[in-house]
Amino acid sequence: MRAPNSLKQEFLKKWISGLQMCSTCSKNMSILERKKAIKLSADVAMASARNGRTCWSRALIANASKNDKDKLLVEHILGNSEFQRLNKISTMRPTMTNKRVRCKKILKRSCGTIRRVSKRVVPQKILASCVAKRLSTKRTQVLKSLVPGGEFMDDASLIEETLDYIMSLQTQIDVMRSLANATELVLSRKNEQW
Amino acid sequence: MLHCTDMTVLERQRARLKWQQQDQFHHEQPEEEEEEVVVEERSGCYFSELSGVFSGPSHVSQVPGFDGGGAAGNSIIGPVKPDPGSENGWSEMSKILVPGFGFPGFEANFSISRTASCPPLATAAEEVKDKMSGAAATAGRESFKKRKLDKLQNLKVVVEDETRDKRLKGCAEEGDSKITDQNNNNRENSDNNSKENSKVSDVQKPDYIHVRARRGQATDSHSLAERVRREKISERMKYLQDLVPGCNKITGKAGMLDEIINYVQSLQRQVEFLSMKLAAVNPRLDFNIDNFFAKEAFHASPPANFPTIGMSSEMNNNPAYLHHQFNPLQHQQVVSCSGIEMVINPPDMGLRRTISAPVSIPETFLDSSCFTQQLQHLLPSSTTWDADLQNFYGLQFDQDRSTTFPSHQPFTGSIEASNLKMEM
Repeated sequence: MRAPNSLKQEFLKKWISGLQMCSTCSKNMSILERKKAIKLSADVAMASARNGRTCWSRALIANASKNDKDKLLVEHILGNSEFQRLNKISTMRPTMTNKRVRCKKILKRSCGTIRRVSKRVVPQKILASCVAKRLSTKRTQVLKSLVPGGEFMDDASLIEETLDYIMSLQTQIDVMRSLANATELVLSRKNEQW
Repeated sequence: MLHCTDMTVLERQRARLKWQQQDQFHHEQPEEEEEEVVVEERSGCYFSELSGVFSGPSHVSQVPGFDGGGAAGNSIIGPVKPDPGSENGWSEMSKILVPGFGFPGFEANFSISRTASCPPLATAAEEVKDKMSGAAATAGRESFKKRKLDKLQNLKVVVEDETRDKRLKGCAEEGDSKITDQNNNNRENSDNNSKENSKVSDVQKPDYIHVRARRGQATDSHSLAERVRREKISERMKYLQDLVPGCNKITGKAGMLDEIINYVQSLQRQVEFLSMKLAAVNPRLDFNIDNFFAKEAFHASPPANFPTIGMSSEMNNNPAYLHHQFNPLQHQQVVSCSGIEMVINPPDMGLRRTISAPVSIPETFLDSSCFTQQLQHLLPSSTTWDADLQNFYGLQFDQDRSTTFPSHQPFTGSIEASNLKMEM
């Protein structure tokens, strides 16, 4: 897809700068707060490492910048101009998507009536495909709730975004794991030292 | 159906005048494509209903080798439609249309659309139809053979001859059904179609989607969009299948989605876990940032210069999995001998080993298996990963170096950690 090496480095750089910001902002946090900050900064760093080209990253950034406290962090990680640009996109998007959703609902309703009529005529033929469709739609809903910004996507783009999201998550996990290992190593060594 | 024939003649002739004016000889094509779409959607019963009627003119007018085609078309109409008026009118019309015919571009286009058209359902219905009107079918085939010769030159035609025949017949039927069913709309349709067709032929897109677009465009933008969408989804699903481990064996969309959901959830949980772990490890959010950024430059040069010290080079010469069999005592000795660099080496070695032979690694070595898992998860291009992982570990080791006196303890700790992650 794309060179994971550069992506990793970009992510790491952004993440570290985000963490730095967190650490300067608040000195003494509880472990849960710290975890939250780490996770948020990692997510945002990953999203910004994707350059805001994908829907999920934009949605993630938009979600993160809803909270005022987190907004600073997001802005810091993204850089100011980038932040402005993405915010503009993310504020523009929901209105468009809402409209589309509404259209779809109307469409679905009208389709539903047609389907109901045909079901009455031949129920058994359609039954199997109906069940299969229902199963897959249910799962699609779940997947939509998992992928950030998935509620506003149609099926095709959802799958595409999921693909990208999985790739990014894998990269993120890789980097995080390595960093965790590294810090663990350092700390335990320091402990030994004392 | 037959009672509509009078109307069809009338309509046909009117339409013919229009065609002559506009010189849009292939207006029939989109109309039929449109029909295909409709028939696809309405399933086989529609077909059986139609099967009594076998078409003439629309079918004939598409034949590239036109003279033979016209005759064949007449013979086809003969048995099914006894109404002479309609027959004459059609054949006449088709003859008039001949001069404008025979453009190679059009032939190519049309054969593409034919090959890519009908879904299995439609072809099945056509098989039934085959049995019902055997004579007509054979007549049709004769004419189609001429077409085949033309098509041989066409690189884009992939589908087998028989299915092509069936599809052609399907087109013919559909064209006819269109004529008989929707007489009133005929003129408007032809107008629209000619416009659309000219527009389409201007824009040449890549083959497969192009074909579908042209077909759907005639009538039903919904079904067209739906088909394109479904195709897109299935294509992406294939990519996802490659990406998500354990998804290869599963067929069916629901099962695959299940697997994908599980995987995404597990990844998200992993992120949670790792951030929790990092939070637990660092009392303050201080990740030795100076170290990390000082070593950004270090990324460029891989940590291959590490094993230059005597002991470590000796280790390099040893069988690869030797060093993880070290007992703690031995390890302690090594550490005491060569200091920092020695501690740096084992993970580095393990890493390089996994990269060189990712398949044949003893699974007892936890650290290496962890790495291989990463490798398998991500990209097949192991060269980039090689550099990447090494870079990253170079960074880590450098950080190690900054501490004054390491011992064997940290390393075992990291192994435990990776073990933990493996179990996740």
